[in-house]
Amino acid sequence: MDSRHITAIIRFLWTPLILSFIVLTIVLIVWASGDSVVARTITDGLIRTVLVIGLYIFIGNSGVLAFGHIAFMLIGGYAVAWLTMSPFKKSFALDLPAILADNQFPLFPSAIAAGLLPAIVAFIVGIPIMRLSGIAASIATFAVLAIFYTIYSNWDSWTFGASTLVGIPLYVNMWVALGWTVFAIFTAYLYQQTKYGLALRSSREDEVAARAAGINIPVQRLIAFVLSAFFMGIAGVLQAHFLGSLIVNGFWLGITFLSLAMLIVGGQRSLTGAVVGVIVVSTIVELLRQVEAGIQFGNFEFSLPGGFQELGLAVLMIVILIYRPWGIMGGHEVPWPFGHGKRILAGGFALAPPLPKDERK
Amino acid sequence: MTASAPIVITENASSDKLEVFDVSVDFEGLRAIDDVTLSINNREVFGLIGPNGAGKTTLVNVLTGFQKPTTGRVLLGGRDVTGWTPHKLGRNGLSRTFQAVRLFRDLPVVENLEIAAIGTGLGRREASKRSIEILKWMDFEHKAFDQADTLPYGEERRVGIGRALAMAPRFVLLDEPAAGLSDAECDDLMSIISKIPSNFGCGVLLIEHNMRVIMGVCERIHVIDSGKTIAQGSPSEIQNNPDVIRAYLGSKTE
Repeated sequence: MDSRHITAIIRFLWTPLILSFIVLTIVLIVWASGDSVVARTITDGLIRTVLVIGLYIFIGNSGVLAFGHIAFMLIGGYAVAWLTMSPFKKSFALDLPAILADNQFPLFPSAIAAGLLPAIVAFIVGIPIMRLSGIAASIATFAVLAIFYTIYSNWDSWTFGASTLVGIPLYVNMWVALGWTVFAIFTAYLYQQTKYGLALRSSREDEVAARAAGINIPVQRLIAFVLSAFFMGIAGVLQAHFLGSLIVNGFWLGITFLSLAMLIVGGQRSLTGAVVGVIVVSTIVELLRQVEAGIQFGNFEFSLPGGFQELGLAVLMIVILIYRPWGIMGGHEVPWPFGHGKRILAGGFALAPPLPKDERK
Repeated sequence: MTASAPIVITENASSDKLEVFDVSVDFEGLRAIDDVTLSINNREVFGLIGPNGAGKTTLVNVLTGFQKPTTGRVLLGGRDVTGWTPHKLGRNGLSRTFQAVRLFRDLPVVENLEIAAIGTGLGRREASKRSIEILKWMDFEHKAFDQADTLPYGEERRVGIGRALAMAPRFVLLDEPAAGLSDAECDDLMSIISKIPSNFGCGVLLIEHNMRVIMGVCERIHVIDSGKTIAQGSPSEIQNNPDVIRAYLGSKTE
């Protein structure tokens, strides 16, 4: 493998490499500062990154705006609580079957299992829903969230009803969240480079032409829906092990709106947009939260009334939608800064650089 | 460049046929296609013409699965494919272009072609390779990485044809490919169309209003008017057919 070939591979992986590098840099700076409060904020932000990448895998590639993905986060979060809480703690709140009630399963395999459960659910509910298009599909996904939200709110023996379930092992810190974030970035990027990702994006651009080109749109959507549900589930798992508690009400409209806002502000048509959206929106929300809590100017304390976070976010969304309907990134990935070199297609097939106009012919 | 190098992608049986038997299509009482029968052979350029509203595009929609015929059958290589979905027909060797071109606008040119190749079941590696070959054949390789929505109109149409060819079709249906092209672009188009059968081993159904293009490349022509067949034959036969002249120009006296 010569150096030009290595360059071509780096170029191919440029977007996930740079995104991971940005995330890693933020984590390293916070780690070096030793500020544990900021570290928690960053961990929270990384979990949201996994969440929004999960959303992006489906929405970004299919162009179908889905309002119900938080259902998969809910399913993943509770599944991991059933698997990893100690039998002693489970006995206080839950009335589970013996195999779950009497056992405490190892953390990592439980996380994977709790990601797979929502993926399976997505597969089943996706078979009918993925045949729909446009607003009908959006509303149907929201109905899925409403169904699971209602079931989990009332399923006392498994979820402790509408009360807060506590006692989930705490192990998610900045580094664990970072690991999953990088994994999500690379998986989402590699998926969108596969033939399945490309086929689905073609249906986003033009459904009629995609069908004529031999693309089975419901099947392609289902693949993305299932993969997306896995990462939504993992975000639920990470949140459960980060906060140590779960409440069904935390998986409803608030987080649905926030995660969609992040994706739309950043730009729903690119992975870079998804990550940028989390960073920008989290930063703004965090600043507004601090101003709400009050900041000191000498002897003068200034504070905004409560609710400004939501208001600020809503105004930001409106401004973005008016001036940049496709978000901050406008559908672009991280650009390659080193000019026209040899390009490599996703299939590994290399193409010589196009000649500059004046040298042609 | 390599515009003259032949690239045979598929070796289809020379007896391959795309046939339509007694097809009619009704839209809520309006008969758009009335009992049309035609047959396109492998490796020929077959013209379908008719005045505006004659039902040409409806017929293409029937052939490609976007419109179910009210009555009649469509046969591909002797197999009854009536009522198949568009993507299934696409996978079985029927590809088309659109009057409105319908490129995947936000994607690069090469990916527009790759998608069609993927649609026939190829992996990305083979799909990229085939797409680049076709772009080279069309002398369009230098724009492989341009976003489709940045292309001028004539080039968009060319990419549309490339996309249809990337499916390595048994039959390719070109829906008014010359619409809006300049004379020079029409000449390029004619040279591309006439080379398709030998280089891709497929049949071509060409729907067109531009008579210079139709007469220049078609071996056989089928004329429909108000959904009905009014003539069939070679270009010279069609040019001199009184029914065709009447359909296009109207007549002073009946």
